[in-house]
Amino acid sequence: MEVSSKKKEAYYTATQMQLVRTRFFGNRSAMIAGSILLFMIVCSLFSGFLSPYDPTIAGRDKDYENGAPQIPMFWDENGFSPRPFLHTLSKYRGKDTNFRWVYKIDTEKRRYVYFFVKGWEYKYFNYKINLPGKALDFTIPGFTFDTHLFGVKEGGIHLFGTDKAGKDLFSRTLSAIYISLAVGTLGVFISFVLSLIIGGISGYYGGWIDSVLQMFTDAIRTVPPIPLFMCLAAFAPLEWSSELRFFFISCLLGLISWPTLARRVRTHLLSERSQEYILAAQMCGASSTHIIIRHLLPSFTSYIIVDLVISFPYMLLSETALSFIGLGLREPVNSLGVLLQNATKADVLLNYQWYFIPVFFLVVLILTFVYVGDGLRDAADPHKTKN
Amino acid sequence: MINFIQFTLTRAFLAVVTLLIVCFIVFSLMELVPGTCAERYLAFKNTQGSQITFEDIEAEKIRLGLDKPFFYRYGKWVSDIVVRQDFGDSCILRMNINELLSGRFVLSLTICLVALIFSYLIAIPVGIISATTKYVSLDQSLKFISYLGIALPNFLVALCIMLFMTVYFGDTMTGLFSQEYENAPWSADKVKDFLGRAWLPIFVLGWNATAFALQTVRALMLDENDKLYVMAAKARGISGMSLLWRYPAKHSLGPVINSIGFDLNRIFSALPVVALILILTEAGALLIEALARSNDQQLAGAIIFLLTATIVFVNFVTDIILAIMDPRIRKGVMGGG
Repeated sequence: MEVSSKKKEAYYTATQMQLVRTRFFGNRSAMIAGSILLFMIVCSLFSGFLSPYDPTIAGRDKDYENGAPQIPMFWDENGFSPRPFLHTLSKYRGKDTNFRWVYKIDTEKRRYVYFFVKGWEYKYFNYKINLPGKALDFTIPGFTFDTHLFGVKEGGIHLFGTDKAGKDLFSRTLSAIYISLAVGTLGVFISFVLSLIIGGISGYYGGWIDSVLQMFTDAIRTVPPIPLFMCLAAFAPLEWSSELRFFFISCLLGLISWPTLARRVRTHLLSERSQEYILAAQMCGASSTHIIIRHLLPSFTSYIIVDLVISFPYMLLSETALSFIGLGLREPVNSLGVLLQNATKADVLLNYQWYFIPVFFLVVLILTFVYVGDGLRDAADPHKTKN
Repeated sequence: MINFIQFTLTRAFLAVVTLLIVCFIVFSLMELVPGTCAERYLAFKNTQGSQITFEDIEAEKIRLGLDKPFFYRYGKWVSDIVVRQDFGDSCILRMNINELLSGRFVLSLTICLVALIFSYLIAIPVGIISATTKYVSLDQSLKFISYLGIALPNFLVALCIMLFMTVYFGDTMTGLFSQEYENAPWSADKVKDFLGRAWLPIFVLGWNATAFALQTVRALMLDENDKLYVMAAKARGISGMSLLWRYPAKHSLGPVINSIGFDLNRIFSALPVVALILILTEAGALLIEALARSNDQQLAGAIIFLLTATIVFVNFVTDIILAIMDPRIRKGVMGGG
């Protein structure tokens, strides 16, 4: 009895955010998805530390092209070793292989995996901004590190295999997740700002401004997004640097996907504007800034956060689709779309199935985002009592 | 009745205005693409070996009317489409766009519409089952399958099926027709052949659309199921299928009809990428060709215009259907009972 009344009191005095948190933590599938997502995000943030090789062409292993994944093992027929090791490979070409290069595994020679080894240099907070125009170019040096979680002394270690140039797919996947998430975040942010401004104006003023803006929003919503993306992406000249292209594509994603969110903001503002508590606040003499910051914004931050999380997977999918047709990001930049593009050739399908490993990560990433978004939506809905 | 006509006319007017705005956006985009149609054509001629001078470009510009101001050209483009149903010539292919698109656009539209119908046929019953089932695991697994439909990129599904067909049946399933029917006139056999191949893009596009429609139906059903009128009906002793179909399901279908236009939008959006993988000879593939390879603004503009016009039209029709079907809206439109 004591406990339940305490529980009840805690329930009734909890803030909106506390309630949302409790409901979200109670949702098992959303929690599992959330942990996987968090793990992937952390991995991608530390991609430099985790990946043994440079994901660009600089890190290619010219002795191991189109190489199969190498899984470190603890024992083979020669016995057990507490330190994981790989077998040595040697390139071989002869009459019996029709003069094609094949890799021979020498099980006698072990190559041990070492941890915290020094390798290629990676940088954090290092930016080279190269906008059109000389005056806008600047460089921030940032920090440079060269320690990696694991590596081998001689030869290479390729957990996910290598592609046709010998680039390590494991390193590429990690950096691709990072880039794709970065594009998505930037896109979501831009669309967020746009929708707040447009939806805000529309909902705040109402009347004819609202009608005109709504018509414009609806017009944009009727155009199929991918063709519109393609249209806009076709502007980017081929000679643009990869950073500029990256920035441009993110902006595009944001510029196209704002209408849905803007509509939600507007509807919410319109209905919330005439609520009694706003009137009460006005009667108490609160200024409109105070009302907006203290009352209107908190009333829909949870919805906005939910909407942002829900729109994230679509950003990722649009980026992949765009890169896949060749209008999005391009080679020196790694993104999931770029990696997918490599996976679609017929000989890849039949001979080099490990090219598909990044695809798996894309699917998992999107699935976890969808589940987390779903859980957040359920948690943020105050009318929902169960689940 | 007068009210209804008034409502229809207002909707039609709004649809036309939307279309004009879209036209304007599309046309401005096409204008902003670096380079003009004249330069592109002459550059193409140059690769064929003929010498091009500056005067040639100017002459070609005047021939195409590119020396006129922006709004004049916009007006001409729109009026040509509306009055003469003429999209002009393609920049690169040097063909009339009407000829180029006539068959292909209908094909694209058929594929998309069939995919849409297919997705609704599955999504509505399954969504209702998912929302009303007592078994949590069934609901969870249906949810997972539909989420997978969102998460798996379309082209990946298409590729996997293609690979499977190639390995086990020796047919890659690419294209929309077998070779012997590629250029044959339409006949019963050709339709059969078309259906035998078109199921793949329809399935791929449909799965994705099903996932979205399923989410909508499920959410709506859950909302409606908790409402008082359903409880009242239960209290009167109605149960099982008759309860579902007469009360909550009926009401949750309204928003579903409303979303047909946007679902079609989504399918259209996915079409080009699937078309690229399956080497379909239809408008989506042509659009990619026009944008990604040849920068053919005239052709791309025409295709996007057609796609959008279809969606605007579908939205208009669904609005009217809703006004007829849903008593709440009917009342608002026609007044009285």
